[in-house]
Amino acid sequence: MTTTLMSPETERTTTEPRDWRGSGTATQLLVLTGRSLRALINEPRLVVLSLLQPLIMLVLFSQVFSSIAQTDSFPPGVSYINYLMPAILVTTGIGAAMQSGIGLVTDMKNGMLGRFRSLPIKSWSVLLARSLADLVRTSVQLTILLVTAVVLFGFSPSGGIGGVLTALALALMVSWALSWVFLAIGSWLRNAESMQQVGFLAMFPLMFASSAYVPLDGLPVWLRAVATVNPLTYAVDASRNLALAMPVGTGVLSAVAASAALLAVGAFAAVRGFRKPL
Amino acid sequence: MTNTMIEASNLTKTFDDVHALRDVSLSVGKGQVAGLLGHNGAGKTTLVNILSTMLPPTSGTATVAGFDVVSQGHEVRRRIGLTGQFASVDEQLSGTDNLVLIARLLGASKPAAKRRAGELLDVFDLAEAAGRSAKTYSGGMRRRLDLAASLVGQPDVIFLDEPTTGLDPVSRLGLWEVIEQLVGEGTTVLLTTQYLDEADRLADSITVLAEGEVVASGTAAELKADVGQRAVHLTLTQPTHRPEATRALRAAGLQPAHGGAAGAITTPVGVSTDLAVVVRALDEAAIEVAEIALTEPTLDDVYLALAKGTPTAA
Ligand SMILES: Nc1ncnc2c1ncn2[C@@H]1O[C@H](COP(=O)(O)OP(=O)(O)OP(=O)(O)O)[C@@H](O)[C@H]1O
Ligand SMILES: [Mg+2]
Repeated sequence: MTTTLMSPETERTTTEPRDWRGSGTATQLLVLTGRSLRALINEPRLVVLSLLQPLIMLVLFSQVFSSIAQTDSFPPGVSYINYLMPAILVTTGIGAAMQSGIGLVTDMKNGMLGRFRSLPIKSWSVLLARSLADLVRTSVQLTILLVTAVVLFGFSPSGGIGGVLTALALALMVSWALSWVFLAIGSWLRNAESMQQVGFLAMFPLMFASSAYVPLDGLPVWLRAVATVNPLTYAVDASRNLALAMPVGTGVLSAVAASAALLAVGAFAAVRGFRKPL
Repeated sequence: MTNTMIEASNLTKTFDDVHALRDVSLSVGKGQVAGLLGHNGAGKTTLVNILSTMLPPTSGTATVAGFDVVSQGHEVRRRIGLTGQFASVDEQLSGTDNLVLIARLLGASKPAAKRRAGELLDVFDLAEAAGRSAKTYSGGMRRRLDLAASLVGQPDVIFLDEPTTGLDPVSRLGLWEVIEQLVGEGTTVLLTTQYLDEADRLADSITVLAEGEVVASGTAAELKADVGQRAVHLTLTQPTHRPEATRALRAAGLQPAHGGAAGAITTPVGVSTDLAVVVRALDEAAIEVAEIALTEPTLDDVYLALAKGTPTAA
């Protein structure tokens, strides 16, 4: 090598590319998460676009269904926006989780996953970084939604700021757990279109056959049966009860348990699928 | 042992019913460039992917830098750089950020990563586009960024799968120089290519694959000697001197034949010093020559003879 005797160059050995033979897990996570987030910063349009769907839902539902608040099955003294918003947080979080899988598949297509696999880094740190970046993105999305709901639609649930923040945390937890399920689907299907199709096919019935938009008592009997076993109902109910300062019972606990189960299964399957040769 | 950087023994790879590789063995010493030739679907990419730990072999073993590609994949990945057949750059990131990303993942500090990115962008003539996001890059620029990315950590072994496909002549030449420089510093290179001039110029040894099998291997010169023949082509100033010239060459122990044009003679030669024999023989006979040329068999001849169909040699 070049022998440089100048003193400022004493750190040269560590800056010699030949000595770069791998980084710690923390660095890998930081750098990879930063990379996914940087893509969002460079392309803020995507964040705005991803907000459109929940905003449209918010507008439509709050206008179209506001009369539901007058029906018997509706919790007394609760406005429709206060009833709706916690559910929107959860369903938006779920939609955002699907983006994790799509992001992973995109990285497969453009060759970045191939590049990462040829580097001395842990395969699960690539997945974890992706899910963490999406968690940050989803937090930003949901916060913007909340602020919009407060400012434009008069969202002011009786749970106050504390209730709303715990509802938000719950929605984020569900979203993060589900992002692992979509990472798993993505790493096995390896195709954005079929991912999206599987996602929508699963999401739409789940969203409507639940307590997200109308109270269960207002649903036809068969739909109510479906909604009662729909895990989304539990997540929505827990989030709503937190925001509205209503008794939560075991709702939060079961939402946490269900999320943990999804996370475990999703992470296991995702890492397995990810290790399959491209 | 430490001098062998790539060692493949009896590698086989089967995809369902496709035999992508059959019993392929290969050995590349430190600081050598191995060229892999073969038509589309011959198994070049499959071999590169197995050696770079991207794909497990169906059977057989391989080591890179002394580490087993299956059981010690992580150690192998610490020492290799890979440029796949298809560009792998993050389109959302700038050229600089793409390279900084790789450097950081390899363990470089931020300033060191930035410095290295700058160096490589200069080498690959991308300095002007360094700050732009890679989705605005042309195909050749992406390719160059991709190549730069695989060199970030100055790996001991570099795998390049058709590295110059899609590059303009200037960039190709630039890449060849980069490769030659790396090799000068002791880097080992395995490259696949469809360009025979590239293999001829860069490769110390060439392996020709056909339908997953090694059909020939050796230095470019050895392969050429197996397949084609050197010949001296000459044109006499006086076409009427042809009989005399033929006689003189026969006397010198050669087998001249009449070429197509008037006064043209072609004579196969063995070693290149035979050119001097030709010149001396004609000079002694006082026959004037207007034009004289030594033609070598090209790798194209080798390729056409070997890669397409019937394997010739053992
Ligand atoms: N993942 C795969 N699944 C099934 N078959 C495959 C797979 N990858 C490669 N093959 C088959 O293996 C054979 C060798 O492919 P490979 O990509 O190694 O060829 P190549 O020499 O790199 O060709 P090219 O010059 O076109 O890049 C081909 O017949 C190909 O169809
Ligand atoms: Mg190929």
